[in-house]
Amino acid sequence: MDLLMTEEEVRFRNEVRTFLDTHLDEGLKRAERLNPSFLADPAVGLKWQAKLNDKGWVAPSWPRQYGGTGWTLAERYIFDQECERAGEPHFRGASIKMIAPVIMRYGNEAQKSFYLPRILNGEDVWAQGYSEPGSGSDLASLKTRAVLDGDQYIVNGSKIWSTLAHHATRMFALVRTADTGKKQEGITFILIDLKSPGVTIRPIRSICGTHEFNQVFFDDVKVPVSDRIGEEGEGWDIAKYLLEFERGGAFAGGMLRAMLARLQRLASEPLPGGRKMIDDPLFMARFAEIATDVDANDMLELSAMSKVQAGGNPGSVPSSTMKIERSRIRQSIAELAASILGTDALRWEEHRPLHELPEGSEIDEECKVASAVYFNSRSQSIFGGSNEIQLEIIAKTLLR
Amino acid sequence: MDLNYSDEQLLLKESAERFLKERYDFEKRNKIIASETGVDAAIWSEMADLGWLALPFAEENGGLGGGPVEISLTMEAVGWALVVEPYLSSVILAGGLVEKLGSEEQRAEILGGLIAGTSRPALAHTERQTGFDLDNIAATATKSVDGYTISGEKPLVPGGSFADVFLVSATLDGTVKLFVVPADSAGLTSTQVKLVDGSRASDLVLDNVPVLASALLGAAADTLAEIEAAYDRANAALASEAVGIMDALMDATVAYTKERVQFGKPLAAFQALQHRMAEMAVKCQEARGSALLATLSVDAPRPMRIRGVSGARAKIGKVSRSVAQEAIQLHGAMGFSEEMPIGAWFRRLYAIENTFGTTADHLKRYGEIIRDPAMLSGSLLREPV
Ligand SMILES: Cc1cc2nc3c(=O)[nH]c(=O)nc-3n(C[C@H](O)[C@H](O)[C@H](O)COP(=O)(O)OP(=O)(O)OC[C@H]3O[C@@H](n4cnc5c(N)ncnc54)[C@H](O)[C@@H]3O)c2cc1C
Repeated sequence: MDLLMTEEEVRFRNEVRTFLDTHLDEGLKRAERLNPSFLADPAVGLKWQAKLNDKGWVAPSWPRQYGGTGWTLAERYIFDQECERAGEPHFRGASIKMIAPVIMRYGNEAQKSFYLPRILNGEDVWAQGYSEPGSGSDLASLKTRAVLDGDQYIVNGSKIWSTLAHHATRMFALVRTADTGKKQEGITFILIDLKSPGVTIRPIRSICGTHEFNQVFFDDVKVPVSDRIGEEGEGWDIAKYLLEFERGGAFAGGMLRAMLARLQRLASEPLPGGRKMIDDPLFMARFAEIATDVDANDMLELSAMSKVQAGGNPGSVPSSTMKIERSRIRQSIAELAASILGTDALRWEEHRPLHELPEGSEIDEECKVASAVYFNSRSQSIFGGSNEIQLEIIAKTLLR
Repeated sequence: MDLNYSDEQLLLKESAERFLKERYDFEKRNKIIASETGVDAAIWSEMADLGWLALPFAEENGGLGGGPVEISLTMEAVGWALVVEPYLSSVILAGGLVEKLGSEEQRAEILGGLIAGTSRPALAHTERQTGFDLDNIAATATKSVDGYTISGEKPLVPGGSFADVFLVSATLDGTVKLFVVPADSAGLTSTQVKLVDGSRASDLVLDNVPVLASALLGAAADTLAEIEAAYDRANAALASEAVGIMDALMDATVAYTKERVQFGKPLAAFQALQHRMAEMAVKCQEARGSALLATLSVDAPRPMRIRGVSGARAKIGKVSRSVAQEAIQLHGAMGFSEEMPIGAWFRRLYAIENTFGTTADHLKRYGEIIRDPAMLSGSLLREPV
């Protein structure tokens, strides 16, 4: 056992670093620093995505035949670490990491050849249509209905909390096509063009002051049967496959480390009274504790990765553990960062996106976004399967 | 020792809650914070009519002679309803200082206007570097022919954007003094700032602002000591406000989980969540105890006052954050959206943690006090005075 990179991997890392040095410009990095949300503002995200696409690096996890990189897991890990270190806008979300693997696995040839290139070049941005007002953790209770009428489905109902749906061109959605049998069995997976007649999008503002998610209403929306993924009633299995990517598939170690490095920079700056937080033992104890959490979480990730590389499966306990811990670590970093602001924590900048505001010093800007980041961090333990649901999964495995 | 509320106190609590329930629901409050001024003049004059603005002042000053307990009950209701009007900053902080330091004329004028609802004074003391070292003041006052000239910067003056008159601290011959500065004084600029909890403050800049000799408040008094005592009264009030918010979050969470059905059952039927709410209740009870100690310490000798007040702010800072985070978590995405008051309570608690000393400031201040073994080992019960 060891933690050594191969010579080849070191070369690869240096190549990635050089690319990021030259292509990830200050404007993009600043926009990301000033983004309180999980995903970048699409205008920013798509700009960065285009640059990655030119290099052929936009979808590191895809097989080469679909336009991916064909990298090993270790290379993908290194790439992610470097992107985070450099401060890339986070945008490779629902489109690249969620719906694409589903289309590759369950889609037919026509769907693959139409949708996958449009994801790579940014022509399509996808929203995830799972949750409904009455169905959150209990996803299988969903009610949005799709009725087959000739060669199309007529969809009626409503999805909620759909992140970035107001910027998205399409939504992948779970809909009910049957009421018989177990509730999981009547669920079908379809792709909805959000420009279709009958689609209405209502913005919802979150407690960090940003409009990031929405409620989406479907009123007799027509979806061609050719936009169904898999068979009717197969939606639940497909959804579970997708959730694996949402929860466990992402490398987070790099992101947490990058957040911690930002916090360290903030804490190294003299406060108005001349004091620095890194000289405060109480602060440093909390900071160091979080750093050990990051190391432990990163090791879990590397171990899971090694298992997969050797052809095994990491299992559900490590991936639920990582999801829980990742959210807690993000929340504690954000909380500690906000605690540095002192009285300035009271100031609230309403304008969104923050990067449209005139430029200030890096530290002033960190202060401007820190409260919003703290508020936003509370969602980490709710979305993508809440921490309570992850604990249920772990408990079930333990007590089986 | 008696820790029971009197019948009059319970009546006051009930009337405050009823008034805010009828006149200050969440929708109404959202309209107020979205408005140009961020304050509702009608509500303020109703508060005057109800006697809220007179509550803490002595009867000889036109007040109702209410003590810390009456203030704490009012502040719990203020917290619950998320009142953004400057009750704390104008009445308790600035009004309290005028009562302690003002001459008869100053009291008659400023307190008179405050109690009638026609004046809203604000204290402009702390500066960027002050933190909770209340003597760290850079603004200066110099003697002039007929009074003083004041210069300095006072950021984030609470209630400042609603104020017609400021109590500005500045060093005069090396000692901190307070001056009454009308908001329309020449050389004074006040910029409105929107705060994280929806309320407003102002950034004040004083550039050679001339004031008359009669503007000096409490010429002979130990002004710093009075300012510190006023902040302690305000901090005890904040502790009670936080308790009101925590109760509101607790009640809202219990009600929501009883309604919200997932997996065929109300969320409240899951034992995992029942225990989480029970833990929240434990924290609410603890906070209540701390806030009561703070309330009953504001008139005690300084070390005991600090133990009670800063101890409560430190303790409540921690437990209130945890209760607020849990409330959001148990509401799921609903708690993360602005549609429910959960997020607004959460943000107000966050603001409280950074008002008149941060949670860490108060923990340190408390830590200094309990270095004295007598203070640490002494009972909470006190000798009669
Ligand atoms: C920022 C954000 C972005 C989101 N983006 C999307 C998106 O793009 N698309 C989409 O479809 N959805 C999205 N969601 C919704 C998300 O998936 C749901 O919030 C999540 O599944 C929880 O559902 P809920 O909010 O309805 O909470 P509920 O299911 O009502 O749960 C409320 C609380 O009860 C707990 N709980 C529920 N059941 C149990 C149980 N049996 N035992 C113990 N505890 C339980 C939960 O953990 C939670 O703490 C987003 C949510 C957020 C906050």
